[in-house]
Amino acid sequence: MDIRVLRPSDIPHVQLANITNLPENYFCKYYLYHAMSWPQLSYVAVDVSRPQKTPYDPPKIVGYVLAKMEEDPADGIQHGHITSLSVMRTHRRLGLAEKLMRQSQRAMVETFGAHYVSLHVRVSNTAALHLYRDTLGFKVDKIEAKYYADGEDAYSMRMDLEGLKEQLLEEEESTFGKDEGEAVGDEKSGEGEGEAGKERKRKVKVGRGLGVGDLVEKNEASAAA
Amino acid sequence: MQPLSQKEGTLFRQIIKYYESKQYKKGLKAAEQILRKVPNHGDTQAMKALILNSQGHQEEAFALAKVALKNDMKSHVCWHVYGLLYRSVKNYEEAVKAYKFALKLEPEQQNILRDLAILQVQMRDYDGYIESRQKMMQARSSLRQNWTALAVAYHLAGNYKQAENILETYEKTLKQPPPKTDLEHSEAVLYKNTIIAESGDIERALEHLNTIARANLDRTAVLELKAKYLLQLDRKAEAEAVYRILLDRNNEYRAYYDGLEASLGLDRSDEGSKEKLVEIYQSYAEKSERTDAPRRIPLDFLKGEEFKSAADKYLRRMLNKGVPSTFANIKALYAEAEKKAVIEELVLGYASGKQANGSAEANGEPSDRFEEAVKYFLAQHYSYHLSRDLEKALQYIDQLIEKNPKSVDYNQAKARIWKHYGNTQKASETINHARELDEKDRYINTKCAKYQLRNNENETALKTMSKFTRNETVGGPLGDLHDMQCLWYLIEDGEAYLRGRDYGHALKRFTAVSDIFEVWHDDQFDFHSFSIRKGQIRAYIDMVRWEDHLRDHPFFTRAALSAIKIYLQLADHPELGNPNNNLDLDKMDAAERKKAQKKMKKEQEKREKEEAERKAAAAKKANAKGDDGEIKKEDTDPKGIKLLETKEPLEVALKFLNPLLEFSPKSIEGQNLAFEVHLRRKKYVLALKALNAAAAIDPENPKLHEQVIRFRLTIDGLKETDPKVSEVLNASFKLGPASTDLKKFNTDWQQKHSQSPSHVQSALNVRHILDNSSKAQNETDLKKLLELPTITTEQAVAGLDLLDEWQSEAGVKDSYRQAASEKWPEVTVFQSK
Repeated sequence: MDIRVLRPSDIPHVQLANITNLPENYFCKYYLYHAMSWPQLSYVAVDVSRPQKTPYDPPKIVGYVLAKMEEDPADGIQHGHITSLSVMRTHRRLGLAEKLMRQSQRAMVETFGAHYVSLHVRVSNTAALHLYRDTLGFKVDKIEAKYYADGEDAYSMRMDLEGLKEQLLEEEESTFGKDEGEAVGDEKSGEGEGEAGKERKRKVKVGRGLGVGDLVEKNEASAAA
Repeated sequence: MQPLSQKEGTLFRQIIKYYESKQYKKGLKAAEQILRKVPNHGDTQAMKALILNSQGHQEEAFALAKVALKNDMKSHVCWHVYGLLYRSVKNYEEAVKAYKFALKLEPEQQNILRDLAILQVQMRDYDGYIESRQKMMQARSSLRQNWTALAVAYHLAGNYKQAENILETYEKTLKQPPPKTDLEHSEAVLYKNTIIAESGDIERALEHLNTIARANLDRTAVLELKAKYLLQLDRKAEAEAVYRILLDRNNEYRAYYDGLEASLGLDRSDEGSKEKLVEIYQSYAEKSERTDAPRRIPLDFLKGEEFKSAADKYLRRMLNKGVPSTFANIKALYAEAEKKAVIEELVLGYASGKQANGSAEANGEPSDRFEEAVKYFLAQHYSYHLSRDLEKALQYIDQLIEKNPKSVDYNQAKARIWKHYGNTQKASETINHARELDEKDRYINTKCAKYQLRNNENETALKTMSKFTRNETVGGPLGDLHDMQCLWYLIEDGEAYLRGRDYGHALKRFTAVSDIFEVWHDDQFDFHSFSIRKGQIRAYIDMVRWEDHLRDHPFFTRAALSAIKIYLQLADHPELGNPNNNLDLDKMDAAERKKAQKKMKKEQEKREKEEAERKAAAAKKANAKGDDGEIKKEDTDPKGIKLLETKEPLEVALKFLNPLLEFSPKSIEGQNLAFEVHLRRKKYVLALKALNAAAAIDPENPKLHEQVIRFRLTIDGLKETDPKVSEVLNASFKLGPASTDLKKFNTDWQQKHSQSPSHVQSALNVRHILDNSSKAQNETDLKKLLELPTITTEQAVAGLDLLDEWQSEAGVKDSYRQAASEKWPEVTVFQSK
């Protein structure tokens, strides 16, 4: 199974995987909204070995993570959020969910300077709880009563990404070192890495107020003004 | 423009605010207030029309917008609103015209210009889009977005040079480099880089990439592009280094391994490369215990003993861990018969315990997990079409279920085996049992509904689905499945109705599928402006390109093929369009008749009940709204009766056929049906085009053979044809012989393909067409085909359809079914009911 970033053309099959596996479903435009706002953050697991039946066979998506940056963080801290994650029952125990999550988290830090990532999980979903808590290192932040449409409570979980950020900075440095600054960029800029890191924290704009609500209805009448 | 007093002027501005915030009632009230003082105020009427339209009163809105225009022809507001109304009903041509009128009156109105631009890109009028974006950029050149949007316009139009220039020009206005954290800048320069590469100048693209790479926020994209460029420029050593970095970041992506192989000059088909390849993959496998790709990939290119030992190692590792998806991960190798045999031998060896050391736990006890995983693998192996032995599959799965009666996976696997037997009934029962073992798991619930549909249990399937749908939605569970664009369900539901010859319901579902593709196409609309604001331009370009070939998706093709088949039926049997007369009882055999009568009675009762329920619900749902506040109209034709009543089935069929031919021209079924539609429309040149296209895909296609003969008969029988048409037909119809040779042509063809059931069926059908006195012989020969060892159940079912087409007697069909049932006792469709 390949793990790679989600492309717009994957969306019908991500949608299919979602409605096959999970009770929380979304229409195409909501997936597009993620893919057009934070294209770096959503990943898919693809069964590439499937024999083609027609020249038009789309990639067979067996798992996905749909992720975003919080548009308007209540705590004022940039952070990512997992909108949806699932793996087909036929492809469990391959560690796909973990691999998808790790790629997404990396991008949250690298591209958007996320400090932590949050998600919701049904209190009854012990398998998912195990993945998030024991494998990935999420912690239960609080319980949100009646979070789901059917009345079930959710664990609101979060995972700190500062450690990942440190690790990625080191990787960048070793990359630059190995390649004499040529591999990924021009010569080292004057500013220190630490400073760049800090700066990244504060200044990334994530397009506040351009939520999906904004997408659904455009303010046409302002036209008429 | 008609002037307003100060008080009314304030009110008018309020209407706009109310409209924007969707406070429609307040908006209407304010409009009424103005209109009481100034009854013919065009702008107010226009705004009122816009609000009415948003409330779903479309006709009223259009009427009022026209009145508004009459009252104030010179108002850009009236024209703009008129355009917006047309846009809302997707009449984009008229909307563009209206916007252009408005702009003639007020060329500087940025809002109108923006609305026009969005329509132009939606319609892929790139020249128009460039013009509009140019104007918008000039009006507000300080905004980076406006420059980027203009570059996008040039880029989509294929003008790379100008696109790059525009982005470059803006960059030069920047007095100091933006901070590293400026995402819009980071994306804009990377976008520019992809434009340079697309223009073909990879050398320069790499050079440019090197200047922006360090600061860029999309690390993955930068590295991927860099590796790709280096490889394209044949700078292999540098490419290798970057692919290794990429693999350190993500070691489960084959594209990176491919890149690494290429940059090392390795070739999987070359013996000389093997050793080095094995070494590389081994080194990556050793890096991480949890990685699959470097362990699995070598199985693709290794052969003989090397393959055997690698496969042994891989299988033991997976089966020891008890990974249930091992078979799914390995079955692609079965395309090579030799590998299939090796794998079977290995896993049978594990099962017989001869090589059980792989299964030993640390304490030397054989692991239960290993044994179970081995059996589960074998059950799937013998169920898979390339290695099928369903009896064996059943034995293995039964052993597993005996030990683990509550396993969802094992019971599901058993259901799949029944499905492969063709016993849709047992498959449905078994999977329902699996579902009951874990009622909280939607996956097994989904599969259950699918198997129920395969067994033509439409109502039960919906009930199953309703356990996870939002049933308070307008239209209930089915309404939710439509809202959530659950294509697989709509298609399977439609196909089940089609098998039951409930053409109304079937058409309803296939039309819904087509409508969803329409929605997906419209979904891009808002992103033309949204993405420019967000600045994620590369993703946006990707989306636009995807939308351009959206309907080549197999889901669209499947729905379209079925819908076209129904429309052909309607064209051939217009009486089917009359719901009171859509069952020709005389032509049915006893079993079918009984079933049909029962069904009619049941439907009558259901109709009455539903009518009563609908009346009760109508009052309740008068103001029903969906989650998104959109007003949902109740479906007035839930059974598709209106769809059936069409007077022009062939013309409606084109709505499915044309996109099918445009986006999936290589679908041979599509070409086959194109012939049928165009032949009936007497569009002979188009019919011939379909024949030739089909021949280019597969000259020996069975359906094509029959169609060639029919086409010859048709054009030879034409009394008067346009000489130009005759010329084309004569010049391009090379597939069929002259009429006199048709019988011989058919016999030769049958002999050539005497061992292929589908081909012989086609030849028999042709014999029937050429001489229907051969019917009895054809029926006998068709039944004899069941004795061919290669015949599949699908082909046997196709034979049954042929008997329908020939209007064979019930007794003939029964005897065919009985013969088939003797051969395949488990297949539900052949069982007497």
